[in-house]
Amino acid sequence: MKGEWILDKNHLSYWLRQLRKDRQLIGPLRDEGRDIVFRTVENIHEIVLDCPASLPSPKEFLFPQYEPMLRLNSNPSSPPLRKGVRAVEDLTDKNRRVIFGVRSCDISTLGLLDKFYLGKYRDPYYEQRRKNTLFISVVCNNPEPTCFCIGLATGPYLEKGFDIQLTDLGDRYFLQTGSAEGARTVRSMAFLFRRPTKLDYEDQYEVFLSSKAGFQKRIGLEGVRQMILSGRVKDDFWQWVAGRCFECGGCVYECPLCTCFTVTDRVYPDGIERVRLWDTCLFKGFTRMAGGVIPNEKMVLRTKRWYYHKLIHYPETLGDFGCVGCGRCTITCPGKIDMATIATKIKGLALNGDGE
Amino acid sequence: MNSNLIARQAKNNIYLPFNGRIEEIIPLAPDVGLFRVRVESQLTYSPGQFFMVSVWGAGEVPISVASLPDEGGVLDLCIRKAGMVTTAIHSLQTGQSIGLRGPYGNGFPLEASKGRDIVVVAGGIGIAPLRPLIHWLIRNPDKAGQVTLLYGSRSPEDMVFRDEIEKWREGGINVVLTVDKGNEKWNGHIGLVTGLWHEVRTDFKKAAAYICGPEIMIKAAMRDLFFLGMPDNRIITTLEAHMKCGVGKCGHCYAGPKYICTDGPVFSYEEIKKHAIL
Ligand SMILES: Cc1cc2nc3c(=O)[nH]c(=O)nc-3n(C[C@H](O)[C@H](O)[C@H](O)COP(=O)(O)OP(=O)(O)OC[C@H]3O[C@@H](n4cnc5c(N)ncnc54)[C@H](O)[C@@H]3O)c2cc1C
Ligand code: SF4
Ligand code: FES
Repeated sequence: MKGEWILDKNHLSYWLRQLRKDRQLIGPLRDEGRDIVFRTVENIHEIVLDCPASLPSPKEFLFPQYEPMLRLNSNPSSPPLRKGVRAVEDLTDKNRRVIFGVRSCDISTLGLLDKFYLGKYRDPYYEQRRKNTLFISVVCNNPEPTCFCIGLATGPYLEKGFDIQLTDLGDRYFLQTGSAEGARTVRSMAFLFRRPTKLDYEDQYEVFLSSKAGFQKRIGLEGVRQMILSGRVKDDFWQWVAGRCFECGGCVYECPLCTCFTVTDRVYPDGIERVRLWDTCLFKGFTRMAGGVIPNEKMVLRTKRWYYHKLIHYPETLGDFGCVGCGRCTITCPGKIDMATIATKIKGLALNGDGE
Repeated sequence: MNSNLIARQAKNNIYLPFNGRIEEIIPLAPDVGLFRVRVESQLTYSPGQFFMVSVWGAGEVPISVASLPDEGGVLDLCIRKAGMVTTAIHSLQTGQSIGLRGPYGNGFPLEASKGRDIVVVAGGIGIAPLRPLIHWLIRNPDKAGQVTLLYGSRSPEDMVFRDEIEKWREGGINVVLTVDKGNEKWNGHIGLVTGLWHEVRTDFKKAAAYICGPEIMIKAAMRDLFFLGMPDNRIITTLEAHMKCGVGKCGHCYAGPKYICTDGPVFSYEEIKKHAIL
């Protein structure tokens, strides 16, 4: 039997309360600065669903901005720090979470992130968090002007890859389960749900169609990739991009698919923690070597690398673009050199001939 | 006992270092020391690979293996004091422990140069990753033809492994030394390693090369060898990059479409040109 159900909206709050019993409930909330952020939900009515994309993306629950990895405890009764060996504590996060209100584009990143983190070398921090996190995503009925998932098949509605997907039908949700954990979660509270009727399917289809019609941007990236591969995007174009970059790193921090980090040791009176923090290839010091040589010192090498990584290298090595069309870089970038703008410009090069 | 426990845990956490015990520290040059580290004798690694070497409180840095694994459970690391972490390593003493993760990286394609004459080109501390390769070539004379080592450094004092060079010669290696600036006692060449090709008596078209040193030297040597007729897939080098993880996750070492840490650090000139890595 297909994992399709109907959840009455009146039951949503009860359902989330039940889920919260053995998991931390995370959802999109409005913070003091009016931004939408994913945080622990205290009051369920504060969850905001029909809102612009969260800044930053919920990737921070799989790959947090600041993550202690290992800890060497130095309690006073044990032998001095450097001599001999003392147990190192593995600080892998073991919390169980349910993240509610995630968008389809962010769910679409999981396939690529899994391939990236759980390839030949398995990243234990990501793996634990991923295993312990249940995602409940909501189909976007009103795409934002910045959204272009539709051109990349990463939203607004997903066929697979989600745990639980909800479509808002006004007074009720059309609910689909897409993973074993999702199905188990729904079945364990089966009394809350009923099977969809013909009318529910019709409503769902109608909502789906009107959502699809609501996109202002329809940008695919394959044509852009082909343009770059054919050598038609010349260095002066990348120079122009670099000239507009403020090196703020905003795009990288908001991007659900940027994964670079740095590692540093924090020394405390009672021990040493090895922590990792988000870092970005757009910063000049990112490739600095001892002696001061910086291979990617020129800005143009860094902006170009950012685009090449997402448009050329990810498809080559992991089989997917490093972009899901969430539009966060469009919202964030003060230089207006976000993915949508650059993709459109590169396509423009094709129309206008090779020159600019 | 504790170190066993950690070695076991390390299987589940790629970031968790295990401990090696420093048995001996041999000064090789100003700021360069050979750290001989006792590790479990089952630990295997091959020339061209590296370990993430760490001191708690300072951090981790990539360091090439400078020995072959079957040299009695001792891992040699030849480390130049270059900055924060390497200075912390240099402040360690015999008997203390040092953190290790690895081995990582692809290593030299030893089988690819089988039966061929070999030119080894080293600049400065770039000799470190080439040392186990030299040991391997001495031990397996049937695997290669004539081997020439061209080794250049800034001054005679900066030349590391000076005491071993005689042994390498006895092992059948034609060693040619050069320095930028000599002293009264120096009777070798003066000038760049790339000025020594005439010392190599081989048909470059049929030979293979292994190169390591500063980036400008690597670039010049690769280009020269290519023009001397050596096919670019047999011009092999090992590259440096800023590294934070060693396992293809942190992004720091990413060059062209490749991660130096997992796709390298050993690359052929062919790959370097194809992927625009250098
Ligand atoms: C594959 C590989 C093998 C190496 N083998 C050796 C060796 O056998 N012997 C040796 O002496 N050196 C070797 N190096 C270089 C050595 O890793 C650097 O000298 C060292 O990282 C400098 O760190 P630091 O903290 O002392 O310097 P700082 O300048 O204080 O560096 C700060 C941080 O930047 C990063 N970093 C800086 N320079 C480098 C660099 N050149 N390479 C990688 N990361 C860097 C490190 O993460 C370091 O923690 C190797 C480098 C690589 C990539
Ligand atoms: S890109 Fe926009 S419309 Fe598409 S899934 Fe993401 S938030 Fe929803
Ligand atoms: S060192 Fe982290 S990706 Fe290569």
